[in-house]
Amino acid sequence: MNATSVEVSDQFYCKNSELCVVHQILVEKAGGVRKFILNRPRQLNALSHKMISQLLHLFLACEEDHMVKLVIVKGNGRAFSAGGDAASVARDIIKGNWKSSAAFYHDCFSLNYLLATYSKPQVSILNGIVMGGGAGVSIHGRFRVATENSVFAMPETALGLFPDVGASYFLSRLPRFFGEYVGLTGTRLDGAEMLACGLATHFVSSEKLPALEEALCRANSSDPALISAIINGFSQQPYLKDESAFHRLDAIDRCFSKRTISGILLAVEKEAVRCSDQWISAALKSSRTASPMSLKLSLRSVLIREGRLQGIGQCVVREYRMICNVLKGEISKDFVEGCRSIFFDKDKNPKWNPSKLNQISESMVDRHFLKLDDEGWEDLKLPPRFNLPAHAIAKL
Amino acid sequence: MASSSSSSVDQVSRRTQILTNHLNQSGFAPYSSSSSSTSLEFSACINFSPPELSERIEFDTKEMRKLLDAHNLEDRDWLYGLMRQSNLFNPRKLGGRVFVWPDYNQSMEQQREMTMKRIGYMIDRGVFEGWLTAQGPEAKLRKLALMEVIGIFDHSLSVKLGVHFMLWGGAIQFFGTKRHHDKWLRATENYAVKGCFAMSELGHGSNVRGIETVTTYDSKTEEFVINTPCESAQKYWIGGAANHATHTVVFSQLNINGKNQGVHAFIAQIRDLDGNICPNIRIADCGHKIGLNGVDNGRIWFDNARIPRENLLNSVADVSPDGQYLSSIKDPDQRFAAFLAPLTSGRVNITVNAVYSAKISLAIAIRYALTRRAFSVAPNEPEMLLLDYPSHQRRLLPLLAKTYAMSFAANYLKFLYVNRTPELNKAIHVVSSAFKAATTWHNMKTLQECREACGGQGLKTENRIGHMKAEYDVQSTFEGDNNVLMQQISKALFGEYIAAKKGNKLFKGLGLEHLNKSCPVTASQLTSSTLRCSQFQTDVFCLRERDLLNRFVAEVSEHQAQGKNKEYAFILSYQIAQDLGRAFSDRAILQTFTEAERALTGGPLKEILGHVRSMYALITLEEDSSFLRYGYLSTDHVAAVRKEVTKLCSELRSHALALVDSFGIPDAFLSPIAFNWLESNSWSSVQQQLGGTTFASAI
Repeated sequence: MNATSVEVSDQFYCKNSELCVVHQILVEKAGGVRKFILNRPRQLNALSHKMISQLLHLFLACEEDHMVKLVIVKGNGRAFSAGGDAASVARDIIKGNWKSSAAFYHDCFSLNYLLATYSKPQVSILNGIVMGGGAGVSIHGRFRVATENSVFAMPETALGLFPDVGASYFLSRLPRFFGEYVGLTGTRLDGAEMLACGLATHFVSSEKLPALEEALCRANSSDPALISAIINGFSQQPYLKDESAFHRLDAIDRCFSKRTISGILLAVEKEAVRCSDQWISAALKSSRTASPMSLKLSLRSVLIREGRLQGIGQCVVREYRMICNVLKGEISKDFVEGCRSIFFDKDKNPKWNPSKLNQISESMVDRHFLKLDDEGWEDLKLPPRFNLPAHAIAKL
Repeated sequence: MASSSSSSVDQVSRRTQILTNHLNQSGFAPYSSSSSSTSLEFSACINFSPPELSERIEFDTKEMRKLLDAHNLEDRDWLYGLMRQSNLFNPRKLGGRVFVWPDYNQSMEQQREMTMKRIGYMIDRGVFEGWLTAQGPEAKLRKLALMEVIGIFDHSLSVKLGVHFMLWGGAIQFFGTKRHHDKWLRATENYAVKGCFAMSELGHGSNVRGIETVTTYDSKTEEFVINTPCESAQKYWIGGAANHATHTVVFSQLNINGKNQGVHAFIAQIRDLDGNICPNIRIADCGHKIGLNGVDNGRIWFDNARIPRENLLNSVADVSPDGQYLSSIKDPDQRFAAFLAPLTSGRVNITVNAVYSAKISLAIAIRYALTRRAFSVAPNEPEMLLLDYPSHQRRLLPLLAKTYAMSFAANYLKFLYVNRTPELNKAIHVVSSAFKAATTWHNMKTLQECREACGGQGLKTENRIGHMKAEYDVQSTFEGDNNVLMQQISKALFGEYIAAKKGNKLFKGLGLEHLNKSCPVTASQLTSSTLRCSQFQTDVFCLRERDLLNRFVAEVSEHQAQGKNKEYAFILSYQIAQDLGRAFSDRAILQTFTEAERALTGGPLKEILGHVRSMYALITLEEDSSFLRYGYLSTDHVAAVRKEVTKLCSELRSHALALVDSFGIPDAFLSPIAFNWLESNSWSSVQQQLGGTTFASAI
């Protein structure tokens, strides 16, 4: 914990000395507008711990800085951000250092919470891949601009994880049972689908992005109505493709509203017999290859059991307990196995353990929600939020 | 106006000064050049501050919720989610939050159709799986938990389901035999048939044995013939009958070969599967009601309607094909008692529902009282939060404590019911009668107080509380009028007393064992620690029950000695009967509370529950005049109690938010005034055209 506070002051000096250009995050200033550019293009802007800490401090500093009106977040290269740096987290665990992974998530979830309760408008330009942790640094903000290049996914169940970064909050608030579908199958959504389901607030063609940014800088305003009007000026109504799952909400309801994972899988199988749509066969395939423990955690615990009924603060505190239990690996080691099969050995053939849903008892799932019995471990402490606009608070 | 005297100039300047002061006081200082605020946001006169920012949470509210909800928490949350995610449940976005509650501005017909559509949605999602076909306590608890959640959304929906599953389905389960179970239970569970329960008549409600519908048997065709002989015999208030039900259980006198065998239950079809009313059946609507307009209550007349012999629900009595009456229970009184079993399940359901209704209203009113301010104590000071007024605490916090107590009582009753054995039937009947009356009266009182505590906001239907008064009023009447139930409790206790004294036996069951011990004595001086001691509280409750029972028996005996018959003697002793009924209920409720407390090992949860229990006990001592009337407490005692209640109010004040959070009712099922009522009432909320919002309000 002491190490973190040293980092805090480092960043603080960095900001005060106005030398804000750091390697993995580029900061551009234009009047009252700050642009934070995720800058790890070769890793598809995967978020390292350093980037998370920098973002945390940058956002906190900008909130205090009366000069700052608006924050724009975007990615360098063809991705917005492909997520948290799971591979390096997994390497830490393998080295026996799960606690440093926990520290990563601690900062990451604190950032998610900060953005969800941020007092100034954030415009995220999602011109490319937005996955996992990438969603966590954008979806919680006020304006999310999708483009024809946007690809959104929460692919955690294939990695032996569960949708985190506050996803239990935002996925559970998608229309009907679309959130369960997106979170459990890890399906990819395009920009039009993101707009349709509410993950994005606007759709702007990528060629208009430079002009949009310029207009936002020129306006130099914090007024959400004005910002919205400016983005609207560049927006278009994208075509939602015929085969989009979003046209199949009734079928998605039938399957994904079920009380249990096995109920959902059964319903998906039934649905797949009834129709041969691509989305349902993909859903069937991905749910069969996902970690059974991940599925149970994601559904029973994140989407249905808790997230839908909780505020963002409660959501990230719970997710932090869960992720720490996953990282410690006493109940299941699926996360390391998922990383092995996807990042290290690349055999795409994970050996989940437990391998079947019926081998997972309720109490094994329950244990993920308990505080860790580990010396020095503490629940996630949410950063204090002063002058919080009331609309931002669900229940702290 | 023309006179430009100096006094008029003075007046103007004084007024200007006053206005400026007003503006400055409320933090709205548009002309102040020294304003350091650089915020571009409009600075409102009053800022909304969520209670979570100022209130401390000193115990684990999740653990408390586990204790209060007691079972099937995940099933509950799943169903909350199912409702919240469907447009059928009328989600509305206000102040950036989604709320669900039925549109009570719809016509009666529309509300009834919505109720059926919501049921259809839940059928498709397997909510009712196993409600009638699964065995064992676990399945029953799941059903009860889901019913509770449904009731939190809408009382009509829960009543409509209660009639179909608990009354119609329950009648088939309890009065029917295998042939009925095989034919009807599965069909009921998946709504292949829609059932109702035709018991009460225009002329007979609580007095079921007096109903006038008559059924005879025709051995030639092996059919029963059901008839409504007069207008007072029309079936009345039959939930589901007006629009949707295809079948009904009919309660009727059974007349075999000219001999009346008493009340029996039959299955009759009243509509075909296309919804057309069957021949020899007439149905009329009960019309618009003060509440529960999502339930289609109707009236039924039977014009010598014929039903197959097999449709007699024959668990206690049967009629052979050649028309012989057969029953294993010879005593018609006992036979009738066997019929009352399904009504017990209804009472269990009502009891629990009433407690959840009180929880909703308290959660809303207390959250509002933690954010709404009124009047300053001194000039230039900020206005005071409603809940910081001792008077406001005194209005809401004792009701909160009672709601906790009754929550434990309801759980006790529920578990008694799902684990019941035939020996427990009498106890369940008495306890369910007592708790049903106590909780439903408590709920109505709570709703009224909470409505008033929310001021004008309480009158808006969207804020739920005011409307719920009309929705829940019926609870004190259906499944047994509360006053009649109180008398039944006293009668039952009378029976226990006579049996114990005559047989020279000890009291056993119904929590009456304390009567076997010597009479507790109240200390002459009541200190704070005595008042908060659970032994003292129990003693004084027991003392009241014991003495009132003695008095009741004495009074009834006196009337009997004067030549009145027993029934009339009971009727004449109604005042003590009422007091005794309450004494029994209060003591039984306190007992469930102390038992729930005892199960905890310690820690902050147990500590706070101790305060809540003391509040429950002491407020009962303060409010119920029988303690003073019969001298269980002196005027000095009552003064000490009153002082202690005030102290407890200020102690519970700091836990108020945590205590209502522990109810576990999701935000969407509360109401806009429970949250940011400034934003939900703002002009921009009227316009709802602000593009781009935080995630929660984006969808």
